[in-house]
Amino acid sequence: MKVVGLRLALLALFLAAWEVAGRTMNPLLGVPPSVVLPALRDLLLLRSYPDLLASLALTVREIVTAYALAVAAGLGCGFMLGMHRLVGRAWGPMLAALYAVPAVVWYPSLMLFFGLDAASKIAFGFLLGFFPIALAVLAGIRQVNPQLVVVARAYGAGTVTVFRRVMLPAMLFTLVGGLRTGLALCVIGVIVGEILGSKAGMGALINHAYGLLRTGDYVALVLVTLTLVVGSDVLASLLERRASRWTE
Amino acid sequence: MTVRVLQLVTVIAGLGLWELAARSGWVDPLFVPAPSAVAPALVRIGGGALAGLADTLGKTALAYVLSVVLGVSAGIAVGSVRLLRDVLSPYVIALYGIPKILVLPWIVLLLGYGTTPAVFYGTLHGFFPIMVLVMGAVRDVDRTLVTVARSLGATTWQLYWKVLMPAIVPSVLAGMRLGIVFCLLGVLVVEMFAGVRGMGHVLGSFANGFQAPELFAATALVSAASIAIVLALDHLNDTLSRWRG
Repeated sequence: MKVVGLRLALLALFLAAWEVAGRTMNPLLGVPPSVVLPALRDLLLLRSYPDLLASLALTVREIVTAYALAVAAGLGCGFMLGMHRLVGRAWGPMLAALYAVPAVVWYPSLMLFFGLDAASKIAFGFLLGFFPIALAVLAGIRQVNPQLVVVARAYGAGTVTVFRRVMLPAMLFTLVGGLRTGLALCVIGVIVGEILGSKAGMGALINHAYGLLRTGDYVALVLVTLTLVVGSDVLASLLERRASRWTE
Repeated sequence: MTVRVLQLVTVIAGLGLWELAARSGWVDPLFVPAPSAVAPALVRIGGGALAGLADTLGKTALAYVLSVVLGVSAGIAVGSVRLLRDVLSPYVIALYGIPKILVLPWIVLLLGYGTTPAVFYGTLHGFFPIMVLVMGAVRDVDRTLVTVARSLGATTWQLYWKVLMPAIVPSVLAGMRLGIVFCLLGVLVVEMFAGVRGMGHVLGSFANGFQAPELFAATALVSAASIAIVLALDHLNDTLSRWRG
């Protein structure tokens, strides 16, 4: 109770400090909450950016496509590497080394290849989401007790049954964690891609507002985008909770 | 042994397929140049790209030192005081999770183009993962150790220096390993978004100029540099943990 009160007090203090600091700053740079709220209202009533909904829909579509591709490729690649010992031992470290490269270095090449439209954002979101999923599958397979698999096989379980009854429950926790991280990174990838260069989508609106120094609109757009980010993570955490209930 | 051979075969086969794809026209060499076109480009961009890389790595180093120092201190401070930890941890986790790119335009408005926003944004990227890891490690320090040290009359200073610090070393090292990639990422993003120098700017301008061979060569250069840095940190990590026993 006390902790919650203190948290709220801290938030209020932060907003107050922001208000005071924002008012003393150059109005083009400092945007106190009292300026953001009207800007947010205008934005949500589609006054300042009439194409808000279309942009939001485009960004969501890019995220969904990128994530679907990342899940398919990540699971496929992870299981392939995990099931074949030699291939896994050879490619696993290479995959991990590539993961150590800050992914944004690939973005200019993707933009050159896929153009300024949605495809390059999908490709970048896919790239970011793919690695945690593939690496989680690899780590999950390593957690499966091989003796259990041997016993199940000895009792005549087929590949599908071994997978469903033995492997999946053992690795589910790690796998779902990877899927959740992958979604978060897909979202970030698409947004980073849009801000670094795009013609449509939330990132393009943000860049537009920033370029014209419409700072109030910019903060309002950031808040709307943040809602999207938080919403996707809440959805993922609900699914994660469901999956963990299933294992028990 | 077989593993090394397989890795080598993979790389050679990959490069071979890529070369074949570019030569036979499956992919447009304007966008995906063959490795044989990228190699000479690496020589061509040599000096300029290396200067850019040095610039980027310099900013990254500064951001990294700041992230480690601030992240570890904040992690210890917040992690070891119960009330502070309870109140702040949801905010810290939230700040760690949100895409920082959203505040980048504002940072650039505030700090301008150049080195300062890059170092600031790189620090912002590296700080949170380190702080979150250290905070968790401090929280999970064995309570018995703390109680025993206290009852044997350890001062607060001794408690931090002799009990807390040795216990969190693995997490600090893990944070340092994670942080470097985040710092480099942050610096490169700023250079791409609003850079006048550095590797991010170099990459961005090659892409804008449709100089695909040069772009691929520069990408390979940054990737190699970051893999080398991470491997070196891993090696250091192994050496240190062996020394710690």
